[in-house]
Amino acid sequence: MERIVQGTPPAEVVAKLQKANGYYITNTARDLSQSDYKNRILLHTDLLAADARERAGYFSLEITGGASVHVDILRKQVDPFLKLEILREKMPHTMFQTLCRGVNLFGYRPYPQNIIRFTVKEFAKYVDVWRTFDFMNYVPNMQAVFEEVGKAGKINEPCICFSTGPEHTDEYYLKKVREILDVTGEEIILCIKNHGGLGTPQRIGQLVNTIRQKHPDLPIHYHGHNTDGNDIGRIVAAVLNGATIVDASDHSFTGFYGPPPILTIVQTLKDLGHTAIGIDEEAVIESSDVIRDERQYYADFESQIKGFQPTVQIHKLPGGAMGSSLEQAVKGGFLDRMPDILHKELPRVQKELGNYWSVTPGSQILWTTAVSNVLGGERYGNPSGDLRNLLLGKYGPFPFYEPDAWIYEKVLGEDWKTVLAEQGGVEDIGDMDIEKEKATLAERIGEDPTDQQLTLYLQHPNDAVEFFKFQAKFGQVHVLPPSIFFRKGGFDPSETLIFTDYTGKEHIVEVGPSSVSESGETSVYINVDHYQRVYNFEPDVPEGAVAKASAMSKEEIMVLAKAGDMRAPFSGNICDVCVEEGQQVTKGDKLAVMEAMKMQTPISCEMTGIVTSVFVKVGGSLQPGDKILRIDKDE
Amino acid sequence: MKTKILVANRGEIAIRLIRAIQELKYHAVAVYESPDKDSRHIRIADEAIWLGKGPRCDYLDISKIIKAAKKTGAIAIHPGYGFLAENPDFAKACEDEGLIFIGPPSEVISNLGNKVIARKIMAEAGIPMVPGTDNLPPGEEGVAAALAFAAEFKYPIMLKATCGGGGRGIRLINSDQQMREEIPVARAEAQAAFNDDRVYLEKVVVEPKHVEVQIMADSDGKTVHLGTRDCSIQRRNQKLIEIAPSMIGDQGLLDTICETAVKAARAANYFNAGTVEFLIDKDFNYYFMEINTRVQVEHTVTEMITGIDIVRTQIKLAMGKKLSFEQKDIQMRGHAIEMRINAEDPKADFMPEGGKTVTVYRSPGGYGVRLDGFVYQGYTIPQVYDSLLVKMTVHGYTWNETVDRLRRCLQNFVITGPKTTIPFYLNIAKDADFISGNFDTSYLDKHPELFNYDDNANEASKLSNLIAEIHHRGYNPYAA
Repeated sequence: MERIVQGTPPAEVVAKLQKANGYYITNTARDLSQSDYKNRILLHTDLLAADARERAGYFSLEITGGASVHVDILRKQVDPFLKLEILREKMPHTMFQTLCRGVNLFGYRPYPQNIIRFTVKEFAKYVDVWRTFDFMNYVPNMQAVFEEVGKAGKINEPCICFSTGPEHTDEYYLKKVREILDVTGEEIILCIKNHGGLGTPQRIGQLVNTIRQKHPDLPIHYHGHNTDGNDIGRIVAAVLNGATIVDASDHSFTGFYGPPPILTIVQTLKDLGHTAIGIDEEAVIESSDVIRDERQYYADFESQIKGFQPTVQIHKLPGGAMGSSLEQAVKGGFLDRMPDILHKELPRVQKELGNYWSVTPGSQILWTTAVSNVLGGERYGNPSGDLRNLLLGKYGPFPFYEPDAWIYEKVLGEDWKTVLAEQGGVEDIGDMDIEKEKATLAERIGEDPTDQQLTLYLQHPNDAVEFFKFQAKFGQVHVLPPSIFFRKGGFDPSETLIFTDYTGKEHIVEVGPSSVSESGETSVYINVDHYQRVYNFEPDVPEGAVAKASAMSKEEIMVLAKAGDMRAPFSGNICDVCVEEGQQVTKGDKLAVMEAMKMQTPISCEMTGIVTSVFVKVGGSLQPGDKILRIDKDE
Repeated sequence: MKTKILVANRGEIAIRLIRAIQELKYHAVAVYESPDKDSRHIRIADEAIWLGKGPRCDYLDISKIIKAAKKTGAIAIHPGYGFLAENPDFAKACEDEGLIFIGPPSEVISNLGNKVIARKIMAEAGIPMVPGTDNLPPGEEGVAAALAFAAEFKYPIMLKATCGGGGRGIRLINSDQQMREEIPVARAEAQAAFNDDRVYLEKVVVEPKHVEVQIMADSDGKTVHLGTRDCSIQRRNQKLIEIAPSMIGDQGLLDTICETAVKAARAANYFNAGTVEFLIDKDFNYYFMEINTRVQVEHTVTEMITGIDIVRTQIKLAMGKKLSFEQKDIQMRGHAIEMRINAEDPKADFMPEGGKTVTVYRSPGGYGVRLDGFVYQGYTIPQVYDSLLVKMTVHGYTWNETVDRLRRCLQNFVITGPKTTIPFYLNIAKDADFISGNFDTSYLDKHPELFNYDDNANEASKLSNLIAEIHHRGYNPYAA
C-alpha cells in the first residue's frame, strides 16, 4: 500500500482508508508544540524538518489550528497563512491538517456564522484535513464548518471528544457518531479525540471496536496524549481494534503532555503484524535528527514540572492546557497549591459541572473555577463570565446532567431561575457586517487589507492589528532561528549572526556596543552587512512603578472598587469597555471586560454613580492594581 | 598670507564651492548660523565665521557677511545659489567695499532680476518670448489692461510678481472673473513677500518642456554656451531631476536655442556664469523665460558632459582671467542625469522630513557617479533650511547606459532616518516614459503610480531592528 498524497479527492481518500491493510500516521507537530512547548515551536524549526517530514510519508501533518493560529500572530509573529504557504512549497505531497473548535474556530468563544464560513473558506485553501470538535459534543456547533469544508472539497474529520466516567459509555458515543453521520454523510473520517490521554488501552480498544462493529466502513483516526505515559498502549489497542490512522510526533521533541513518539509506535505495531502504510522509517529518524539541536532554545517553554502525570486520569486536563496551567501557577505563585487544585478541586468541579469534556474552552472554565475556588476561599464565589455562559447554556446543553441548583444560584444570583429563563439557551449570534469590519481594519492599518488579513482580524482583532504593525516594522521574522528569536540576556559583544531573509538574501549582523544618553535613551549599534546602523530605544518605565502597582493586594483592590476607583484585579487585557465618561451606572452594571488566559471576566460596578474617567482602551494590557476607570458616587 | 574667498552659503553648494576654492589653492572661509553648527561645510573650510543665531536671517544679512569677509581678509565672495545670490544690493555692497563678487555685476543682476526690464532687453534683441505685458498699471486701469490682454491671447494666463522668482509669486488665471479677483490678491502678496507690488501677465504655454542653456562670459564680452539641460521634471515649479543635454531629437533646434541664449546674454552685457531658461511647446516653438544670474543647482550635469568645471571657471573669471576656450572647443560627451535627493516624503506631498537624524548613510560608488552632498551618518537635519541632502549625478556614454547607471546607483543608495525621495526616484528610473525621454512639466501629474513604493523596503534593516530590541531588552518582548 502506498501513502495518500495531497490533492487526492476526499471520496478517494476515504476509499483508500477503507481498503487499508495497515494503518496511517499523522505527525501532530502542532499539538506537540502546543502541549509541550506552549505553542512556541517556530516555523524556522518546522522548515528544518520539512524535507525529512515530507519523505517520511505521513497521512497528514497537523501544523495549524487549535491555539496555534493565535500564538502565531501573538508570540511567534508569523502569518499563519504565510506559514502554510511556505511549508506547502517544501512539502508538496503531505496533506496539512488543522484542529478547529467548531463555533470557536481558532479562538476561545463563539463566532457568528458568516465569520465561521469566511474563515474556513480562507484556511481551506491550504488545509486538507479538518478535524473539528465541540467541547460539549454538541453537533450543531460544528455544522457550519462541516459545510464549508465540504464546499471547499476538503476532508471532514469530525470528532467525538472522549472522557471517562459512568456516563461515558459506548452507547453514548455511538449515539454521537450517528448524530454526526446524519449531518455529514458517510464520506468522512471519524476522530476519537482523547485530548487528555484518558482511559486505559482496554477502554480505547473497546470503544474503537464498538464503533467498527456498527460502522465498518467508517475510518477511525485515534488522537491521544501521552500525559500518563501510556498513549502507546492506547494507540496499539486502537489499531488492533481497527483504527486506521493514529497521531504521534517526532521523538527528539516529545515531552510529557503531547503525543508519543512515532518511531516507537511503528516498531511496536510492526512486531504485532501491523504495517505503517507509506512510512519511511529512515526519514522519520532524520526528521528528529535535524531538529534535535534546536530543542535547547525552547527550554524556557517546556514544562515547569518534569515527568509524566498519571494523575491526569483524576484531573483530566488536556495535554494542550497542561503547559499553560503550570505556567500560570508559576507566574501566579501558586505552584505549591497545584496538588490541591489538580487532584481534589478539579475532579470535584468537573463532577459538579456535569462531567463534560475538559477541552477548550470547557477546560479553561473548569481550571479557572477550580483555581478561583481554591485560592479565593469561597467556592464559586468569583465566577468568570464564561462559567456564567456555560450555566446559561450558551455553549450548548449539558450532555448528561445539569449542575445543582446551588451552583446556579452562586453564579447567576438569587433570581437564577428567572435569569436562566430569560437569557438561557444556545446563543444565536447575529452575523457581523464583514465589509464594515474590513473598513475598520483598513483604517487601523492604513491600507486595504487582504482577505487573509481580514480573516486574522475577525478572529483576534487587536492582536491581529498589533501583528500587522509588527510585520511592517520588523519584516518577515520567521527567518530568524529560535537561538535569536528567543535569546535571553542579549547577544555577546561582536557576536555574529547570519540568516537568510525571505527573499533568499543572506545577511550578516554583528551586534556592537550600546550607549545610554542623558535622557535615558539607549542606542544600540549594529553592523548590518558590514554597515553600521543605530537603533534607538526610549527609556523603560521605571521598574518601581510596575512593582508598586502589582504590590496592591486583592483586598486593597476591592476596597478601592467600593469607593469607585476600579482597578484591575489580575493581570490581563481589556477586551471591552462598556461605559463612557459621564454615563450613569448602578451597582452590578458591567463596566468593562478583562481577559486573561483565554477567560473573560466582567468588571462590575459596586455602587451607583457617574463614570468620571476611563483610563483604559480596548486591547490595553493591565497589571493588578492598574486603573481601569473612576466612578463618583451619587450623593 | 593666503588669498581667501568667502563662501556665503550653506549645505551642499557651500561644499561644492569650498572644493573649487581649495583646488585653486585659495583658502575657503565658511560662514554659518547656529542651526548649522554641525554642518560639514564648516569642517571642510579652512576657517569658519559664526554669523548669528539665524535661522535664515544671518545668511541673508549683507552687512554681517561683508563684515565676516573683511574680518578674515577675504578678497572675494561666492554667493552660491539662493540666499543673496541674486540680490543686486549684495553684489553692489561687495563692489562698494572693494570685494570681488563672484557673479555678474550688480547692474546686470538688477536688470535681469526685474522681469519686465529683462523682457524689454530681450524684445529689443529679437529673442522670441511668450506673449506678455509690461507691469500692469495700478488699480482698475491695470485690470482693464489685463482683460484686454486676455481677450487677445486667451486663457490660461500666468499672473506674475515682477520681483518674484524661483517658482514664487506665480498664479494661474483661467477666466476674466478670476483675473479681477486675483490681481489685488497677487499685489498684496507680492508687496508682503518682495516689498514690491508690481505684477505682469504672461500667456501660459501648456505642458511645456523646460530647457535651459548654460552660458559663460568673460570680461571681454566673449560669451560661450555649454549646451542644454532639460529640467522638465518638477513639482510645484521646483526642479527635481535635471538632464543634460536636452532629449529633444532635433539638434538644429537645440543649436538655435543655444545661439539664442548667447545672443540674450550679450544683449544683457552678461559676465560670468549664467543660465538662460526657455519653454518649449508641443509644436517645438521656444520662448525665452528668464536669465538666472547664479550658478544653478543642476550645473553638475553640464560639467559631466562638457568636462568644464563651472565653479572653477566662475572664480577664475571673477579674478580677472579670460575664457581659455572657444565655442568650438566645447564638446558634449554622452548624457548626465542629476537627481536631487531630498529629505521629503513624496507620498505626503513632499513634506519635508527636517528634524530627523540620518541613522544610515551609505552612498553608491563606481564608474560614472558623482555625489554633491553634505550630510553624514548621525547628522540631524535642521528643520529651518531646505531639504536637499545630496545631488546624485550619473554620467554615461549613451542614454540607456546612463539610465541603467541611475537605477543601479539609486538601488545602492541607503539613507535611513528621514524619508527621502530615493524610492520615488527609483520608480522614475524604471518608468517607461522616463526611459524613452517622453516627459514634460506635466510628468508627475500624469504618473501618479510613481508614488507607489514600499518605504521600508530594506528587510535586513527591519530584522536587525528586532535583533537590536532583543539585545536591548535582554529578551524578545514580542515572543514573551
